[in-house]
Amino acid sequence: MKTIRLSFSFIFSVVSLFFCAAAVYAAVGCQLNDPDRDVKKIFPESTGYKSDFVSIKEIGGGGLYQKIEAALGDKFDPVYEAMDVPYSFYKVLKGRETIGYVHGVNQKGVFGGMQLIISTDLAGKIINFYYQKMSSPEAAKFMDKDFTGKFNGLALTDFLKGNIGISDPSKESGEDFRYTLRGVKKNLILLHELELKDNVLGSVKK
Amino acid sequence: MNAITIGFKNLTRKKIRTTLTVAGIALAVAVLVSLLGFDAGYQKSLSGDIDKLGYHLLVTAKGCPYEAATLILKGGGGLRYMEENIFKRIASDPRVDKITPQLMNSVYNQEGAGGKGAFAMYVGIEHSYLELKPWLKFRWGGWFSGSAADEVIMGYEAAEVEQRKPGDKVFVPGVSKVLTVKGVLKRSGTQDDGVIFLPLATAQNIFELPGKLTGVGVKLKDIGQIADFEESLYNEPGIQVVSLAEVRGTILNLVASARAMAGSVALIAIFVALIGVTNTILVSVFERTREIGVMKALGASSFDVFKIVWSETVIVCALGGLAGVILAISGSGLTAKVIRGMLPYAPQGELVLIKGEFVWMALLAAIVVGLIAGTYPAWRASRMKPVEAIRAGE
Repeated sequence: MKTIRLSFSFIFSVVSLFFCAAAVYAAVGCQLNDPDRDVKKIFPESTGYKSDFVSIKEIGGGGLYQKIEAALGDKFDPVYEAMDVPYSFYKVLKGRETIGYVHGVNQKGVFGGMQLIISTDLAGKIINFYYQKMSSPEAAKFMDKDFTGKFNGLALTDFLKGNIGISDPSKESGEDFRYTLRGVKKNLILLHELELKDNVLGSVKK
Repeated sequence: MNAITIGFKNLTRKKIRTTLTVAGIALAVAVLVSLLGFDAGYQKSLSGDIDKLGYHLLVTAKGCPYEAATLILKGGGGLRYMEENIFKRIASDPRVDKITPQLMNSVYNQEGAGGKGAFAMYVGIEHSYLELKPWLKFRWGGWFSGSAADEVIMGYEAAEVEQRKPGDKVFVPGVSKVLTVKGVLKRSGTQDDGVIFLPLATAQNIFELPGKLTGVGVKLKDIGQIADFEESLYNEPGIQVVSLAEVRGTILNLVASARAMAGSVALIAIFVALIGVTNTILVSVFERTREIGVMKALGASSFDVFKIVWSETVIVCALGGLAGVILAISGSGLTAKVIRGMLPYAPQGELVLIKGEFVWMALLAAIVVGLIAGTYPAWRASRMKPVEAIRAGE
């Protein structure tokens, strides 16, 4: 009787083929792909960072959830934007001094999930914005620095006031442009409410 | 007062020394228990993962699958494909209970990973896939509306990452195709959670691979026929057959080699701990030479002294064993995390499974170590002559 000999490389390969899918989507949630590299790239002068994972449920519960929804001007998706979703904040350090923040959120797009990463100064003003993930036939137009650079200098108060003066870079993906603005605004609100806790929403109302 | 009480009191006289000796034993026992737990947990998890593949045999295209797997894992195309008619020939075998064809394809996404480019993987399947995996249930939606529909079914985590629900669109980069989400699966705890499925015919069409497959999963009516079935496919051109039982065996053999190395380290740790205990108790005996002499002068027999010193070592080792077991149980999550980070492929599930028998085994081993380690110091103490001991201690 003939025997079929299987080398380790073969076995490993077959197993990898049928198990690798798990690795493709192993990380769920919006964290930086490579925090060490990404933080240093945005803040070259930084010497380190401290990451913090918080959810709306931990900080303020249902009341805060509704407050954020009201400020956002849109309802949260009950499944993908639930109250217990943990958001990751990276407090960027230079020595012992905090010099800025990096924060990412997941945002539903027309053709797939977007991961929107913003970096801000201590007051919450955007100094860098990019898509960590974006699925769209016109993704390149959205991810172009000419477009993402237009968000630099904006703060939550600009979004709360309404017109931020940025136009849609795409021809047929107006919905994704709207989702991008929603995602960046959500990102800034969460930064102020969960990390900075500076009551910007309250002060704007007054 | 019995020997154990006196031994315990003696140990509390040098608290730091006793604590350090107990810690040495605890570390050795923790390594031993964690190792046994890893062995049990890994085997169980691996078996669970392989069982959840749903089939006994996997038929793939002949070639170098190592290269293909690397290409998929690290990015790239170039998978080897087999002809669909082979699937039809295997399906007609009366020994086959269930069979399912699959076509995997990875697509380069220019905009992935923050604009640096990344690969996304898609799997073309037929309804037989769900028949082989009856535990896959829909969270939302259902099966494709047609065998060549422009639709996808998403695994739980894939849907979560893409924030998709039935009716939403999915853009397939590289081939610039837009598909509609027809269903989202419930979490299964398997690799399927991260997969985007599409009808086999649709996959063959959009990836321009008509009549091609990457693999065929086969479940036999009688598991005892695996060897015969493999043999009958041996001469089939262009394919190779992998028995998943063999996959499991090969991986476990590999893990056994790593386990043997780690086991050697654990044995060395236990040996070092044993020497440490012997040394500590011996020093303690020498410090108490006069005291032992007085005890003997007052009527204590050599066996009484032997019992007291022996009790001390057993107490130290038993306490160390207990602490080691607690350390191993409380740290099992961290151990699993470290192992998962180090292994190229770690199965899902509990990687470190500490069974009750391991706990008893470790405690027994610690006590045996104590008995061995205490023999020489206890013998030395019991052999002391009262007058000489009192003089030597002055």
